[in-house]
Amino acid sequence: MMKKVFALTLALCLLIACVPAMADGGTYTVFYSGEVSTLNYLVTATTWDQAMAANVVDTLVEYDNLGNVIPCLAETWENSEDGLTWTFHLRQGVKWYNCFGDEVAEVTANDFVAAMKYILTPEYDSAVAKQVFSSGVVNAEAYYNGEVTDFAEVGVKAEDDYTLVYTLADPVPYFLSATTYVTFMPAYGPQLEELGKDFGLDNQSLYFNGAYILETFEPQSEHLLVKNQNYWDAEHVYIEKINRLYNAESATLSPTAALRGEVDSASLDNDVLDDWLANHPELVTKTRSDLQYSYFYCFNFNPQYEEEYGPANWLIAVNNKNFRYSLMAAMDRVYSLTAEDAENPASLLENVITPPAFSAVDGVDFINLDAFANTTSYFYDESDPEGSAAKALAYKEAAVAELTAAGATFPVNVVLTYKTNDSNWAGQVQLIKDQMEGLLGTDYINVVLYAGPADSFLSATRRSGKYSIMRCNWGADYADPETWTDPFAAGNNYNFMDQMLETDNAETVADLNTYYAMVEEAKAEKADLNKRYNLFAAAEAYLIENAFILPYRTEMADYQVTKLDVFEGEYAPFGLCNQRYKFMHLHENFVTAEENAASFAAWQAALAE
Amino acid sequence: MLKYLLKRFARSLFTLFLILTIVFILVRQMPIEGYFSNFDKMTETQIQNGLEQMGLTQPMWKQLLNFYTRLLHGDLGTSRVYYRGKPVWDILRTKLPLSVQLGSLAILFSMLVGLPMGTLMAKYKGRFPDQLGTVFIVLIQAVPAAVYYLFIQLYGTELLSIKLRFDEGNWISWILPVFSLSLGNIAYYAMWLRRYMVDESNKDYVTLARIKGAGEGRIMFRHIFRNAFVPMAQYLPTSFLNTVIGSIYIESIWSIKGMGGLLVDVIHKQDNEMILGIVLIFSCVGILGLMLGDLLMTLFDPRISFTKKAGEV
Amino acid sequence: MGLIKHPQVERLEQHVTEALKEDLSQEQLFAFAPFDEEEAERAGVVNYSYWRSTIRAFRRNWIAMALLLVLALVLLFTFIQPMLPGQFTPTEISNGPNGLPLKNQSADSVHWLGTNAIGQDLWSRVWAGTRNSLIIGISVALLEALVGILMGVLWGYVRQLDFLFTELYNIIDNIPTTIVLILVSFILRPGMGTIIFAMSITGWIGMARFVRNQVLIIRDRDYNVASRTLGTSTARIILRNLLPYLVSVIMLRMALSIPGAIGSEVFITYIGLGLPIEICSLGNLINEGRKLMMSPSLRYQLIYPTIILSIVTISFYIIGNAFSDAADPKNHL
Repeated sequence: MMKKVFALTLALCLLIACVPAMADGGTYTVFYSGEVSTLNYLVTATTWDQAMAANVVDTLVEYDNLGNVIPCLAETWENSEDGLTWTFHLRQGVKWYNCFGDEVAEVTANDFVAAMKYILTPEYDSAVAKQVFSSGVVNAEAYYNGEVTDFAEVGVKAEDDYTLVYTLADPVPYFLSATTYVTFMPAYGPQLEELGKDFGLDNQSLYFNGAYILETFEPQSEHLLVKNQNYWDAEHVYIEKINRLYNAESATLSPTAALRGEVDSASLDNDVLDDWLANHPELVTKTRSDLQYSYFYCFNFNPQYEEEYGPANWLIAVNNKNFRYSLMAAMDRVYSLTAEDAENPASLLENVITPPAFSAVDGVDFINLDAFANTTSYFYDESDPEGSAAKALAYKEAAVAELTAAGATFPVNVVLTYKTNDSNWAGQVQLIKDQMEGLLGTDYINVVLYAGPADSFLSATRRSGKYSIMRCNWGADYADPETWTDPFAAGNNYNFMDQMLETDNAETVADLNTYYAMVEEAKAEKADLNKRYNLFAAAEAYLIENAFILPYRTEMADYQVTKLDVFEGEYAPFGLCNQRYKFMHLHENFVTAEENAASFAAWQAALAE
Repeated sequence: MLKYLLKRFARSLFTLFLILTIVFILVRQMPIEGYFSNFDKMTETQIQNGLEQMGLTQPMWKQLLNFYTRLLHGDLGTSRVYYRGKPVWDILRTKLPLSVQLGSLAILFSMLVGLPMGTLMAKYKGRFPDQLGTVFIVLIQAVPAAVYYLFIQLYGTELLSIKLRFDEGNWISWILPVFSLSLGNIAYYAMWLRRYMVDESNKDYVTLARIKGAGEGRIMFRHIFRNAFVPMAQYLPTSFLNTVIGSIYIESIWSIKGMGGLLVDVIHKQDNEMILGIVLIFSCVGILGLMLGDLLMTLFDPRISFTKKAGEV
Repeated sequence: MGLIKHPQVERLEQHVTEALKEDLSQEQLFAFAPFDEEEAERAGVVNYSYWRSTIRAFRRNWIAMALLLVLALVLLFTFIQPMLPGQFTPTEISNGPNGLPLKNQSADSVHWLGTNAIGQDLWSRVWAGTRNSLIIGISVALLEALVGILMGVLWGYVRQLDFLFTELYNIIDNIPTTIVLILVSFILRPGMGTIIFAMSITGWIGMARFVRNQVLIIRDRDYNVASRTLGTSTARIILRNLLPYLVSVIMLRMALSIPGAIGSEVFITYIGLGLPIEICSLGNLINEGRKLMMSPSLRYQLIYPTIILSIVTISFYIIGNAFSDAADPKNHL
């Protein structure tokens, strides 16, 4: 008998040793430094706040780990023939719970209507109201501005408790993805009515219907998320508790805490990465990259910095296409990206503005559409340094001749702006200065590193035109390529290029007119999505090929040490599903680099199918 | 004396009013972007709307009037960013006691160690205890706090086998933060006490006392220490305040829920009501501290007087 | 508590003792002594000069003298270093054989202290940082001392001004420096001038209060009351009676405020309001290095700037203390 038990135990042990041991049902502990500023998910646009909301409140639809839309609160949905009406049939029996886990009421269509009304009430000062406007809901903006006073005229209706209907002013191809953002989340109507501005002050002033219940909420101290045992999809929620502990220096302390077993995950900054790769290479893994952001260098057409750096001279230079080409061809982007990811800088590189896997035409990723075939020829090619240098110098020669005629003086001051407390960015601009001045010569350009303040950075820099070239970024507002034209539209405060339309810079004006016409054409195409996407690709390629924008990098995939398999989580081009812990297992030990690579390969293979 | 104190108190209220008004006006000069988390994607109407909600579009005098009206009713306002919607006083109420405890323990410990150290150093001036003390003071002064705090935390926790985060309920957890916080003060007290005592010991009355045959111990404590302590006494209240405010590094690395980094934090977040609430508390302590310091000084040295006119002896 | 005796005093004492031992007759005892110039020289310390005595007393402290030399050499070297052969500029980036920046390279014959995270030479950065930090520290200390002493003496001595200054002190002391720093950094461009300005704008009041307290303590001492009764002008009392007495403590305070200013630059960088990257300082070197505290193999990037900072601080501290001892007139005789 004894022997049998022993053999059985041994067999069991062997079995466990084969697959990574799971600690499901356990607690996942992390340090955090960015505090949740409000639990009122209807008014906030901050990542930390939304990450919290994503785990405690469900959306109409969500994504699987391959980026496919799957049912969530809505079991089925349909779009009308004209594309103007979306009807969602809600899952029955989903309940609201309070922070003690007590059932409060059933989730009905009315809760979605009430939440939208809340967002569109100016008094509540919601930071995401504009996103409702852009998703095309009828009369949303008019109601917000007081032009329509009866909320019944706004395009959201509860036909019955389980049928929710949205009416749009125009067909919006990306509407389904928009419903995964906070703007379309439900909130218990009677509670909103009762609490008004006080909704979501603490964990007792809101109800939960998601995978987790926020049991403890002490800002600057601790958040404790506990699995909702009655969750409609409880079988796919594997981590029992998530304990987030506040530490203002978490970036410095987390890696050590992870080694001591105090936390289950820690991100590894560029600073400590070398050390970890040297001492614990087997534990260093990477996060899955986020598709929602893109970084690009803008040429400023409205320089407003101090006279000593010669903004007028820059304005002459930037209107010369060869000058812009020369800078574009001279910037070794991979070289400067080592400041952000020293191990694999090329993996961050992006040759178009739209991030990869954001949208696709017949299975072809948007960024690989034919329109972009030529764009790379304008960039520095790090595999051919000599050829690239020759190309850049040829542009330089042409630019010098033309600019001298136009009355510009050399060297042209290039004010390169960065954020003073962002060490990666600071490193990056130093690398760029060194490399570009080295290639083009200090007789041609003089790169001025311009430090922006840590607080209110954008107001002091980009928005007020205090740069010549600067790394700017944009995040998708909805899952359609149109969102990537917004930062360059008329009246933008990114590169201010539209301001040139009023001037006599014939070449620039002609280029801009062509570009804006292309964008208009693409926007007007609503029926044929493939055609629409191709048109947007053409417009984006035009912007790059005429050197208005220099694409730079995707959102970084951070290095980390963690007990989670990042490839199990939801994968979405837009919205907040990426932030969910649902579908993820908690491993007994840190995921090794090997396991991570294996899951990445498996995930890539599944994506390709 | 009572009249003087009353006058002084009335004046302190006036100072407080000036400080609050100036800070009130200063924080309103901060850039608008800081008020919004989503500034980049907001329309002009939304921004105006938001500013109106915060009451920032009203004329300055009206905002001030509202602020003081509320204040007189005992209302410090509510936090806007730090803990949205929570009354400022409720936030501070939980944090103050912890910081005060931590600060008091640190000051107490520093005095217990620092004052005897300074006395010993003065007594054995130029000899081994003095040199040893000097080495300690020099080291504390020389190595940046930001560095040795982290060092103490990293190795101290390993030594005591405790967690990296501070745990209020566990007394062992208090040792390292209090110790770290005290080091600077110990060095400060010892250094200045030694300085003042050495200065005093060269004075005629000390020579006289010695000639009279008073014992060294009596000279040291009855005469020198008492006189040397006068300028120190004045600093004690301020040094307490500085310890509490200066604990920003300590509270950050240990995740202590105190007041240390709070001010810097809410200034970065432009949480106006919180800024004013904290400034109010700190200035009250600061002004009272100055008053108390002056009072302590007259208590220890009867020759110093704030009420007598110049020339009167 | 032995007094350090002036050699002339010692000689005089010796002479008196010797004279007392002499066995003299009645006549000799009551005879008039003629004026002897040599003897008069011996007794009177007529050529007493405060500063000369101070410097003489200071020179006797060999540790302080050695550190003064060290400090002078460090200061000198920060200016010489860029001119030496084989030096990098502090912002120059070295590339490795793969064409990418030579980052986190430990010390070798090319990079004497190794390189930082983007391949800049730590040796030249440390020296450039020391130079800039010393400039900041000394400027701030001088500005603070100048304004602080002037205001402090007035504050302490002139009773009518006490109200005004106490008010001013309360206000400046209680307005959070961070608000001032953020506003300054938003209005002015980050740079050396800005940081010196931002630190001095609030810093002088501390010095002023310090001086005021010292003045208060001695203001009503008998010798000052006597001076006042004799009709000495306020300015003369301040210059002749008060300031020399205060020199020792003021010097110590100043000597400490130089490393203090360097230290607060570390703090200002910590809260994200420091110098731009092109100007390296011990503050931003230490803050960069601080993030590497947990990584033993990279910790050298924290240790080198900390060592220099420590040397500078220790030197100023010891020199300040020695000078303060030397500047106390009681230690001269």
